[in-house]
Amino acid sequence: MTSVVHFLAADINVGTHVQRHGLDLDTIWSTLAAMVIVMAMGLYLRAKATKGVPGKLQLAWEMGVQAVQTQVQGTIGPSGAAVVPLAVALFVFILVANWFSVLGIGSEIEWIGPPTSDINVTLALAFIVIIPVHIASIRNRGVVGYVKHYVSQPFPKALFLVNIFINGVEEIAKPLTLALRLFGNLLSGGLMLALIAALGVWTIAHVPIGDVATLALNPVWKIFDLAIGAIQAFIFALLTILYFDTAMSEAH
Amino acid sequence: MTASSNFLIPNATLIVEIVAFLIVLGFLAKYVLPVLNKTLEERQEQIGSALEAAETARSEAAEASHQRQETLDEARRQAREIVASANKAAERINAQAEERGRLEYDRLVARADAEIAGARQRAVDEVSSKVGALVISVARQVIGREIDEASHRGLIDEAVAALRGSVGTSSNGTSN
Repeated sequence: MTSVVHFLAADINVGTHVQRHGLDLDTIWSTLAAMVIVMAMGLYLRAKATKGVPGKLQLAWEMGVQAVQTQVQGTIGPSGAAVVPLAVALFVFILVANWFSVLGIGSEIEWIGPPTSDINVTLALAFIVIIPVHIASIRNRGVVGYVKHYVSQPFPKALFLVNIFINGVEEIAKPLTLALRLFGNLLSGGLMLALIAALGVWTIAHVPIGDVATLALNPVWKIFDLAIGAIQAFIFALLTILYFDTAMSEAH
Repeated sequence: MTASSNFLIPNATLIVEIVAFLIVLGFLAKYVLPVLNKTLEERQEQIGSALEAAETARSEAAEASHQRQETLDEARRQAREIVASANKAAERINAQAEERGRLEYDRLVARADAEIAGARQRAVDEVSSKVGALVISVARQVIGREIDEASHRGLIDEAVAALRGSVGTSSNGTSN
């Protein structure tokens, strides 16, 4: 299915990728770019980390790690320490990936666009979160407790079919909403850039009003994109912690 | 080749992305976060010990200030004592000097009195020793004949005694 929006005589296609052998190559190379940036920051930190006065990058990372630790301590408790690296890695990786939106020019295929505007990336991240969540739930409650958890609540046991349905929907919705929320935000960000770029064809009596509009609106929208990217990365990491909290702390 | 299948349907890229993120996660968890945590803990320790040192220094300063205040108070107290004792000594010396002065005065006055009394006595004695002869010579000139000193000695002595008595009572009356 091709999404085509007719706007100002321009065709705007969304979700188009450079594909070979069933792989979205543009997504993969921008993912690689994000990986390189995150790991390079990691290497730099590893080399420069000091217990003295930290640099700006170290300070930013330390604040992020401490924020995650505080959140994990406050919700899951001491047993949640293993979640911290996952939440930190998710936040940093998604943040860097999201901020690639600044490099977008609104073309059909961005050379370096946010990889998180591909459902494959966000769904992969959601799987990486939700599978350990269920493993943690089983380890916390035992297999019997894990199954009972879906059958015997929130309604009495007589309504176990309803319970299974409600809980099933909830558990399926968790990774799906996690993936789609991030994907949708970043996809629409790219779509907005495309729309703003498409304004360029707009002329009134040969006066290129549209070009001016594009030049003016593009940076404004990108600043907005930076905020959206940060918020979405934060939400993803926060929900990860909360899902682990639900899985690990409802034993009683 | 570009293709736009339904953008909500994942494809094999999903697997690549899972691997890619697991690499990032593993790298951060193994190589970066432990280092970061270590520096954080070390810095917290450093800050903790620095705060402790500051607290110690503060209490030491407070102690020193307290001691200084005490020393100062002690010094003031001693100074007051010294001034008080000096005042007392000065008063005592004053009193002694006054006493000595009074004694000296009394002694001088007494000696002067004694000298005066002695002088008067000597004068009276001298006068009384001469007054007899004087009276006789005056009487001889007045009467025109020799007065026998021996026969009239009793009379003269009586007059001298009377004179001496009058001088003695008058000198007793004025000596005080």
